[in-house]
Amino acid sequence: MGKIIVIHSYKGGTGKTLLSVNLSAAYAKQGKKVCILDLDFRAPSLQSIFKFESLDYWLNDYLNGSCEIDKVLLDYTPECNCSGSMYVGLANPAIEALRDMSAKDRKWEMRALGRLLSLKNTVLNDMELDYLIYDTSPGLQYSSINAIVSADVVLVVSTIDRSDIEGTKRMVHELYHLFEKKTAILMNKVPIEFLSTQLERDGIYKRFENTHTLPVLKVIPCYCDVLRAGGSKIFTRDEPEHAFAKHVEDITSKIDNF
Amino acid sequence: MSRSLGKNPAVILEKIRKSLDRLNEKMEVFIELQKQERKQDLIIQDLPEALDVMTLLSLPDHLRKTAVTICKLGHATAEEVSEQTKRARAVESGYLNQLVLMSYLKKERKGRKAYFFVER
Repeated sequence: MGKIIVIHSYKGGTGKTLLSVNLSAAYAKQGKKVCILDLDFRAPSLQSIFKFESLDYWLNDYLNGSCEIDKVLLDYTPECNCSGSMYVGLANPAIEALRDMSAKDRKWEMRALGRLLSLKNTVLNDMELDYLIYDTSPGLQYSSINAIVSADVVLVVSTIDRSDIEGTKRMVHELYHLFEKKTAILMNKVPIEFLSTQLERDGIYKRFENTHTLPVLKVIPCYCDVLRAGGSKIFTRDEPEHAFAKHVEDITSKIDNF
Repeated sequence: MSRSLGKNPAVILEKIRKSLDRLNEKMEVFIELQKQERKQDLIIQDLPEALDVMTLLSLPDHLRKTAVTICKLGHATAEEVSEQTKRARAVESGYLNQLVLMSYLKKERKGRKAYFFVER
């Protein structure tokens, strides 16, 4: 059976979307069947990366119960230059849709949780997908916690910013542990000078594992050319030899053994 | 030695005073119980019926595990829940019925089996 991987963080701007997209493309390149869903209904961003135009259905419609998931999923396989397959489900970026999603009540959120939980059967089992990857909004948002409840693995992306570390630590104890989820930390955008020797690299892993009492799956340095690309490149597809792409490749194998 | 009450008004009055004190105590207990019941009713009315993720977070650990499992299974018996949680069937049955009392779950009987579910 396939896995649902949720990419979450305490703060925004940690690199969740970049990692979700590159992780999906890396799995597809390895011959896996993967689907990435944009669950950040407050600030959807996958639309600007995958550039599908004139869509009839969005993930919003699926969660509203006005269509089934097969109407939402878009086949990105021809563009992903991979031996597997890649599907994408987008959140509606229109202002009206953002307003509509932020005004949902608790009953609606409860039904949305049911619709998300049923994706395990409809997407992973019926479509025989290997991975379902959720890119979420940061912090304690309904859509993110719904995603966490339905997850098999939660990857929490954190930077070395103090408030990010402290917030992540609180979420580990007050969110991920409460739902008994298999959780690991990804440290992203770490200044390269902190990682120049093996001793320093080992020290960083140990330090954050002790802080969060969780395994640190990867410490990814801050690369200027990743920032410079501004989300216009999928490194695991476009520049597979780039160090960032290599880090993401490494994460895929660590998730499988996690 | 028994004394005739009719012949001693002071004794009669004392008896009446003691009876009134006992009655007063009983009334106070009764009023207090009624107050508590009213508070309990208000607490029950305040409980949100939606079993959303914020409610799941607010539940005690043992009930959260059961509630999350029923959310995943959709419609299940205590036996089916216990297979997932690896806890005893009787324990799960107790937790499921507690969640029904809290209005988070519904229960229906089909033959001899009781099924629990979230009404969405």
